[in-house]
Amino acid sequence: MIEVIKPGLETSVQELPGRLGYWAQGFPPSGPMDAWSFRMANLLVGNKRDTAALECQFIGPSLRVSQDGWAAVTGADMGATLDGVPVEAWVSLPVRAGQTLALGGAKAGARGYVAFAGGIDVPQVLGSRATFHMAGVGGYALRAGQRLALGPAGPVRARRVPEAARPAIPRTRTWTVEAVRGPNDSWLTGEAIARFYGSDWTVQAKSSRTGIRLTGPAFTFAERAFHKRPEHGQDPSNILDHGYPLGAVNLAGQTPIILVNDAPSTGGFVNPFTVASAAFWKLAHARPGDVLRFREVTVREAQDLRRAMDALCHEDSLAEV
Amino acid sequence: MIYDTPQCYPGGDRYIEVELGDEMSFDLNFRVHSLAARIEAARIAGVIELIPEMASLQISYDPDLISYEDTVAEAVSLAATLGNGGDAELDSRLFYVPVLYFDPWTRECVDDYRAHVTDKVADPDLLCQLNGLPGRAELRRRHSSSEYWVAALGFWPGLCSLMPLDPRARLNAPKYNPPRTWTPKGTIGHGGAISCIYPDRTPGGYQIFARTPMPIWDREQRLPAFRDSLALFRAGDRVKFVPIERDEYDFIAAEVEAGTYQHACVDYQRFSLAGYRAWLGRIEAE
Repeated sequence: MIEVIKPGLETSVQELPGRLGYWAQGFPPSGPMDAWSFRMANLLVGNKRDTAALECQFIGPSLRVSQDGWAAVTGADMGATLDGVPVEAWVSLPVRAGQTLALGGAKAGARGYVAFAGGIDVPQVLGSRATFHMAGVGGYALRAGQRLALGPAGPVRARRVPEAARPAIPRTRTWTVEAVRGPNDSWLTGEAIARFYGSDWTVQAKSSRTGIRLTGPAFTFAERAFHKRPEHGQDPSNILDHGYPLGAVNLAGQTPIILVNDAPSTGGFVNPFTVASAAFWKLAHARPGDVLRFREVTVREAQDLRRAMDALCHEDSLAEV
Repeated sequence: MIYDTPQCYPGGDRYIEVELGDEMSFDLNFRVHSLAARIEAARIAGVIELIPEMASLQISYDPDLISYEDTVAEAVSLAATLGNGGDAELDSRLFYVPVLYFDPWTRECVDDYRAHVTDKVADPDLLCQLNGLPGRAELRRRHSSSEYWVAALGFWPGLCSLMPLDPRARLNAPKYNPPRTWTPKGTIGHGGAISCIYPDRTPGGYQIFARTPMPIWDREQRLPAFRDSLALFRAGDRVKFVPIERDEYDFIAAEVEAGTYQHACVDYQRFSLAGYRAWLGRIEAE
């Protein structure tokens, strides 16, 4: 059992692969935005890598553990302490009953992960323990005083994630984000496509687990965006309601919004580009004011990146302490 | 138009947009759901889930199990088996939705918007003006005269896009600009040619003029209709609005509160496209 002393800023239980199978009814997959750090935290405490754990956003929680066991803190550096004493992140961390694990504000990056041996044992809702906070599906963000049960823990061998197997958060606050053209790139002019891949895009403060809003140069639209049937809508960026991929660069008027884990399932705006799933961890750590530069990749290349990421998030990547 | 062959586009490394046409029509939407049903029945290894929408469907796939090209090829070849859809039938539940038209809660919401955002013609009156209706009674009559087709769900869990199946019940309305910041749970709205029921208190953009006490969304899955999901409707269901008065509204609301409410649902019917087309032909002839 763990008890929430301070909840942090919208800390939530997440699980992989997320809430699949209900998207057609409007339920987003949810799940951790930085699946890489999430999986490493689980592996450090002897869990299967997709087990339910906590995602912290910008400011982490304070948690009192009521049983001896293991924890791991990964993702953004939130200056974790155990009973006030600084502890290392990216290692298997022994915790004793009564101790308080506290995370503060993220020094770089935005999302931290805390896994406990045995995993967080909240009830599944529609087949998943992932939280969609905005609609209260699978519960809400943590509240002070809340208690979370832990599952049965297996044997834990203390290990660490070597530097090379951790996501590197750039000091320059400039990110290169791989993105595939489509599905609706034909709604833009060739110049607008070139401008998308060739420009700096600044992350707006109004960004969350539903979408990352960007500021940058204006988009110009192809003929079909103007000459379309009226039911598509009046704005050039309007299209008949359609499904929204995770990672879609959704163009609402002139504002691109990258749709992430808790995004709306459908809507009436075009998606000219889609961020590769292997680049989602970068979206998880991009802070307001950070700059995104998009690098064009093919579907095949994006799938290769996904495979490489998948292979990295494996027990073999851990090192002895 | 409805395309001869679906047009497929990648959405990153895990999704595909399959566009079957570019119009808002029942025929096209029915085709989307027919294709979705065939893809699901084919149980293609690596296909994870679908989001059928107005004119397109999105496929989620696992690229470790099936390639982009093979997924597209499967979708295209299944679409080719649809023909003109003349013999198509889909499972279709019918829900009777009790509705209090011109209720105090949506009126309060509209008044709040008019006072604090921008003055506008009250939503029911705007619908009457734009659709040549003499008054609210005719709007209620018209809006409740048809069965509606659940063409798609999305944007918010359980939020449904409803298309009137009777062409004589068609209404048109612009959307709010800017959108509302709140809408009462259970509000009935209309935007473009589509009606909707707001599952929860959410922002919104449709013109609003009625409210149902019948939940279409239940976070706690308390009522029996929510055994399988938190959201009531599935695409391909049908909805019939049944006008009620305030006393009936309060009676149903109390039943919902007590956890004893049973949704009025007919779930032994299939929707026949041929039967529907024949009926449309008879209406047009009249």
